[in-house]
Amino acid sequence: MPQICFKQHDGSSITVETNSGQTLMHEALRHGIVGIIGECGGSCMCATCHIHLKDPGQFGLGGISEMEETMLELEGEDITPHSRLACQIEITPQLDGLIVTVASTGD
Amino acid sequence: MNTPKLTIPGNTHADLTSHDTFAQGIPHATFERLRRDDPVCWIERGEGLGFWAVTRHEDILTINRDHARFSSAHGIRMEDQTPDEVEARRTFQETDPPTHTRARIHLNRAFSKKMIATYEIQVRELAVEILDNALLEPQFDAVTMIARKLPMRMLGRVVGLPDDDLDWLVDKGDSLIANTDPDFTDHVIDQVNTDEYRFYPFRSPAGKDLYDYAEKQAALRRDTHKDDLLSLFLAPMKNGETFTDLEFKNAFALLVSAGNDTTRYSISASIKALIDNPDLLSQLRTLDEAQWLLAVEEMLRWASPTMHFRRTAIEDVEFKGHHINAGDKVILWFISANRDGTVFEQPFTININRTPNPHLAFGQGSVHACLGMWLARLELRVVMQELVKRVHSIEQSAPETYLRSNFIGGIKSLPVSIQCVQ
Repeated sequence: MPQICFKQHDGSSITVETNSGQTLMHEALRHGIVGIIGECGGSCMCATCHIHLKDPGQFGLGGISEMEETMLELEGEDITPHSRLACQIEITPQLDGLIVTVASTGD
Repeated sequence: MNTPKLTIPGNTHADLTSHDTFAQGIPHATFERLRRDDPVCWIERGEGLGFWAVTRHEDILTINRDHARFSSAHGIRMEDQTPDEVEARRTFQETDPPTHTRARIHLNRAFSKKMIATYEIQVRELAVEILDNALLEPQFDAVTMIARKLPMRMLGRVVGLPDDDLDWLVDKGDSLIANTDPDFTDHVIDQVNTDEYRFYPFRSPAGKDLYDYAEKQAALRRDTHKDDLLSLFLAPMKNGETFTDLEFKNAFALLVSAGNDTTRYSISASIKALIDNPDLLSQLRTLDEAQWLLAVEEMLRWASPTMHFRRTAIEDVEFKGHHINAGDKVILWFISANRDGTVFEQPFTININRTPNPHLAFGQGSVHACLGMWLARLELRVVMQELVKRVHSIEQSAPETYLRSNFIGGIKSLPVSIQCVQ
């Protein structure tokens, strides 16, 4: 079970055990991570699971997809070069130890 | 683990391939049995025409996400189509990434949550006008007078179509989606020969009419640019490509069909829920805006009008103890997922405070999730908000009737007797 740390902008953080095969959004919702809403149900149709992710390559994650980038551009706030949508990231054992920051505006 | 008991009355072995089954109402008892006993089940339809029926929420979500192995490019409904029919009728719904992605990115702009939110005032004006007109009479058919009116009138504004054409478009949209129901078409596909129309959307003469209409609308916009959705359809995509004429016409027919009926059936199911749950009306009256968002999700779960979409395995797949062969059809029964008791506590009870509510009414989780989800949510919320403001009590004055379709599930007539708030 990969352990993933969700950090908030106020400095607080929580580390949770996640299930491989699920999306990061799904697992964040399961653990009640504040700021992750997943309003569209994980379809890349909103930006309410917006996170910041540094060094994705270190954990074997690919880059942002064009669809994700467009949706962040349409719907997102607090956009940075590290912005990603948690619904588009599938959890694998390689993500053990990943640290993500929940974007400051979830909607 | 204890085997859950079957709790829903009714036929536990209804024929899911038969449109007539669904004309009697949704066969929930059959879906409940399948979820419990046979969640990935091969259903034979004659030589070479069977499909896998997938009925559990978890399995549907898994397959729906896996577009690499479960393709949409070979058809998305139970209906059997020849490859040339699929090709002629292909919309972006019947494509996989990356082809799908380019169209979807293009269209997402027009249907984004922020963009749709700008329509709220217009939706409310339309809803008020429709309701005030309907409520002039104490008894009426809630589907004809309310649910059937709002979606196309709003879509007309979003798309940029003349008001005078909208009733005609509603009829055409009905003929497409309800191509299995004699109340909506003379060309019922399982009852009369429709070979003449096999290269048109939904194998329907209405598809041919909509092609002609779409061509005229495209010509108008090529002559004079308009700031509307059809102009966006015609504009170049990010990579500089444009839709071909056929892609445009098929996308237009898809808009008219999908934008017409699914929200209608979500509204009619929600009004039926008001009738069947006398406390619901007063509960809804007390909600704030944030609570309404939750209530609408529950109404969508409850209605779940798009009952299935189909995928086709493009390689052999071992799934939950079954060997799915390359080429096998796989039907994802969203209507069943949305009553899955392992995900939804008391799934057969409408609970407007339900949270979380991971329903799959829009095919969530897939790249193909409903493009119009935000518009549907907005229309359903606004019309129900305005309805509960005006209605003191609501009763049913005659039995409802159901669409004859194994694809779209819905109440097609709902005679009501309403007492308005004084």
